[in-house]
Amino acid sequence: MLKINNISKAFPGVKALDDVSVEFEKDEIHALLGENGAGKSTLMKIIGGVYKPDEGKMFINDNELVLSSYIDALSKDISMVNQELQVLSSSSVAENIMLDKMITFGRTGILNWNKINKIAEKYLDMVGLDIPPTKPIGELSVAQKQMVEISKALASNSKILLLDEPTSSISESEVEKLFRILKGLKETGIIILFVTHKLEEVFKICDKVTVLRDGKKIGTKSITEVNKQDLVKMMIGREEKIESYVNKSVDRGNVVLEVKNMHKKHKSENASFKLYKAEVLGFYGLVGAGRTELARLVIGEDKKQSGDVFLNGKKINVKSISDSLYKYRIGYVTENRKEEGLLLNSTLLTNIGITIWPKIASKILRFINGAKERKHAQNMVKKLDIRTTGINQLVQKLSGGNQQKVSIAKWLGADCDIIIFDEPTIGVDVGAKEYIHNLIYNLARIDQKSIILISSDMPEIIKLTNRIYVFRDKKIIGEIKEVSKDSDSYDIVSKELGNYYA
Amino acid sequence: MRKSYLKDILASGNFGLFAAGLVLFAVISIFSSSFLTPFNMYTIGRTLSLYAFIGLSQAIVLVVGDMNLSVGAIGGLATITAGYLIDIRHYPDWLAVIAALAVGILCGAIIGVITTKMGINAFIVTLATSFIFTGINFGFTQGFSFVNIPSSFTLLGAGRVIGIPFLFIFLLLCLIIIFLFFRFTVAGRRILAVGENPEAAKFSGINTDKIKILSHILSGFIAALAAILYISRMGTASPVTGQDWLIVSFAVAIIGGTALSGGTITAFGLLLGAIIMVMIKNGLILLQVDVYWEQAFLGLLILMAVSIDRIRTVYNQRRLLS
Repeated sequence: MLKINNISKAFPGVKALDDVSVEFEKDEIHALLGENGAGKSTLMKIIGGVYKPDEGKMFINDNELVLSSYIDALSKDISMVNQELQVLSSSSVAENIMLDKMITFGRTGILNWNKINKIAEKYLDMVGLDIPPTKPIGELSVAQKQMVEISKALASNSKILLLDEPTSSISESEVEKLFRILKGLKETGIIILFVTHKLEEVFKICDKVTVLRDGKKIGTKSITEVNKQDLVKMMIGREEKIESYVNKSVDRGNVVLEVKNMHKKHKSENASFKLYKAEVLGFYGLVGAGRTELARLVIGEDKKQSGDVFLNGKKINVKSISDSLYKYRIGYVTENRKEEGLLLNSTLLTNIGITIWPKIASKILRFINGAKERKHAQNMVKKLDIRTTGINQLVQKLSGGNQQKVSIAKWLGADCDIIIFDEPTIGVDVGAKEYIHNLIYNLARIDQKSIILISSDMPEIIKLTNRIYVFRDKKIIGEIKEVSKDSDSYDIVSKELGNYYA
Repeated sequence: MRKSYLKDILASGNFGLFAAGLVLFAVISIFSSSFLTPFNMYTIGRTLSLYAFIGLSQAIVLVVGDMNLSVGAIGGLATITAGYLIDIRHYPDWLAVIAALAVGILCGAIIGVITTKMGINAFIVTLATSFIFTGINFGFTQGFSFVNIPSSFTLLGAGRVIGIPFLFIFLLLCLIIIFLFFRFTVAGRRILAVGENPEAAKFSGINTDKIKILSHILSGFIAALAAILYISRMGTASPVTGQDWLIVSFAVAIIGGTALSGGTITAFGLLLGAIIMVMIKNGLILLQVDVYWEQAFLGLLILMAVSIDRIRTVYNQRRLLS
């Protein structure tokens, strides 16, 4: 039995886990369920030795478990299969499975490949993977790689198997296969932890479920004593009422952006959509469902194989983000604030001004008008209520929410008519989240901007949007034509969205 | 405002550099009586100006996160271009200068286009082009120098006003332009942004390929400029010009505080880098250290400069995390 007692963990600005205690029994698959940022991955990483808890203790069969690293956890029979699979892609399947336990001829240091491959094959059989162990792992599908990771865990004789959203990037039939194998493994007495935010999976294979919300444990239930509705309530919280913004009328005769049959292999399958003037359009789906991929094809960051884009009825050819911004006034607020959104080592002045430099530069020699640049930055700081010591402060010193505001300010200043927000509230605190929601709503209502909101946060998308496209497996699989804003809208729309995933 | 400039200088590490320069100056003055003579100062002034240009041609690609191992080879090619046109074809000076600069720009453009459009590491590309350029140079000249350079051409390299070499004045002018370029122009600011984080720059609507190519073109242009100044100073156009530039270019740029990871460059730092560099070289000669040892000292110097750069980076990261 694995027991965790009063675990807390804080990251700068966020309390990721707050006094969480759970018991995980043998012979059960235990789901950790919660929305993005609920703390489930953090908890898993603590059990997997990646993070150290700030407070609290862990026990295996009443012996205290202290982990110094991921390797340490492995040596104590705890294996973690990550969202991003960590494989040596040019090595063979057998090498990946046997990496830390290679077999040599005596003490010669010469590898006994025959034996290594044979043992690897045994573990591949256990997970029902019928591939030669000598095959380069780079040639496998994502699902197959995941199976290899699991056989690696078995080869390490793991007693505890941690699976972090294992179904996020594999197909339906592969999910079925994975579940069959997990059920088989359960019978052998392994503790399986299963992180997910998909309710259906919980009911399909889990025996128990622990729901986390904002770093706190909401409850642990046996799967037989709850239904979907109960779990949704636990995940989202009764007290947090979804306050929808008042519905506003959108002129559906005025299409500002139309995309027809946008196609690129592995990115987007013949996606078509329309965006009306001054509406907030939702792209709902999980990470990897094709939402970000489609957006990046539209702004020219990725090259399409086929498909057409029309701006105000005129066909356009967006070749790059620079095109998208300066020629067509389409802005894109990236989900990866730190890697793609901001120059962390630069000032607010630079980060906010960067998109308007060409506009405020002199004709000859293109000298930037410093006074205008400063004025603009100061206006934006005021307008978006960015908490800073001044426009010369480095952006890296701001909190997550304020960094996000800077990232948004950059595009507002560029006078974009269309703005795509990609997961705009990931990693920001509650206050800033509320602020950004208001901002997006007002951009559409007051400034008449047309907005695409990409989000996997169901309450967020229902609260803000007029219309929603649902994404799965790189396709648009449905459209909710009118998001009602009545008091019970959340229940209705979430059910509708849920249907697409059933 | 003045206060913040002072703080900038302290924080950027230029202050430490300045102090190091002063200490070096004092030590060499004490140990060598011929160091502080007007003639030696004049010589130093000329050499450091050339070094600063060489360092600048490297710094301007380092700042965008690339490097250029071809600075010397481009310099050599530009040198013989000007030399050939003046000596053999009897072109007017200004036309030869324009042709040499055009060669530099062309070389930089080739490097820039290959690195960005084909996605090959600048290290490899410029290593290859350095051999190509040098080979063309030697093949064309067969190793012979062009020696008939008119005195009008050497005026800039040899002249002085109240003991200050023209070269040094020209350098100061160029450094002011560089300062203004990086602080106030769209292109300069964009180069810094791409150097700091190419992804974020791209997602801010900057065409990063174009900016990188621009950096390489500027690098080639400045290397060619340095070559012209070399001819002007030496009075001959030798095909071996540029053979010793590589180490100088890195030493001056790195000592001068140009971050290897890109994103930072200071005109003042480059000047200090060149001053320290030239004092060390000059000092070694005056202190009668065997010239064959020189490279070892320069290598050590670069290693020290890089270590300091690294320590500064790690220190800053730690300070941020805590």
